[in-house]
Amino acid sequence: MKRPLDEKELTVQAKALFDDSVERLDAATLSRLNQGRQQALQATRETGSGGEWARWVPAGGLAAAAVVAVVVWQGAPVERSAPAAGTATDFEIMLSEDSLDMLEDLEFYSWIDMANLDSEDDVG
Amino acid sequence: MTACTGIFAVSCSGEQPKEAMTLQRERQLNQFLAGVERRALRFAEIAVRDRDEALDLVQDAMIKLARNYAANPEQEWTPLFYRILQNGIRDWHRRQIVRNRVMAWFGRPADAEDDYDPVAQAPDPMGRTPEEQIEARQAMQVLEHAVAGLPARQREAFMLRTLEGLGVAETAIAMGCSEGSVKTHYSRAVHTLRDMLGEHWQ
Repeated sequence: MKRPLDEKELTVQAKALFDDSVERLDAATLSRLNQGRQQALQATRETGSGGEWARWVPAGGLAAAAVVAVVVWQGAPVERSAPAAGTATDFEIMLSEDSLDMLEDLEFYSWIDMANLDSEDDVG
Repeated sequence: MTACTGIFAVSCSGEQPKEAMTLQRERQLNQFLAGVERRALRFAEIAVRDRDEALDLVQDAMIKLARNYAANPEQEWTPLFYRILQNGIRDWHRRQIVRNRVMAWFGRPADAEDDYDPVAQAPDPMGRTPEEQIEARQAMQVLEHAVAGLPARQREAFMLRTLEGLGVAETAIAMGCSEGSVKTHYSRAVHTLRDMLGEHWQ
């Protein structure tokens, strides 16, 4: 009675038969394979020569899309929400040159204020 | 006189390595394809059972690899090549199914596959006796018939793993599936083939 093949026997024998059939390929077939390989290599050369500028096409497209996006974004009407009136006014006051000048003379204004109070006391 | 001087030196030194790299790449690709083409042909031939069709499929796979993946790392070429070839074989089978249905509709029988023997006329390179050659060819025919009868995914897993010697990871890339699927398909293929070939090979 025949025992079943184990996996090792099967794979070793299958590979040996396959390798054997590869070795027995005839010259005409090998020649056709060689022709096919040369055509494939020719395709590489064509892709290489045409690929110099073709490689930049996607990058160029992306750059153009980015420029259009920026133009559209900049040109679109922008709705700016008005800041709270108090805040804006405070900022204007804070940043105006006059108020800065006033800050420099703070001691002077303080002295005038005190002097006025003293004179009012004297009158009263 | 030196060719690359002054401002041209920049241009020359920039072009020279690139050109050399392209030529080197082409040599590597040529070497790879020369090493894989025979086995790929037999691989395709077992799958489609027609040498001319197999030659077309292999050539197509070589062109696609060269055109689209020549710049990829060399170690990726083997699984990529077999993936392209597998896809070509699957497309071929789909076309055959449509063709056979059309032929059946017109009342013509499908091609007889049992007469197929692609290597019967080739001389034996190992110097074996005619009886030994016949025995080996018959064993190969039995193997081809059994492998061709497997479900497509099992056939792919068995052929890539056993006949082409690809690892599980490479086979997974070539088949476009997970490594777990490769193991499952391969295991089932081996189980089926053991049953089918056991009585022929002992």
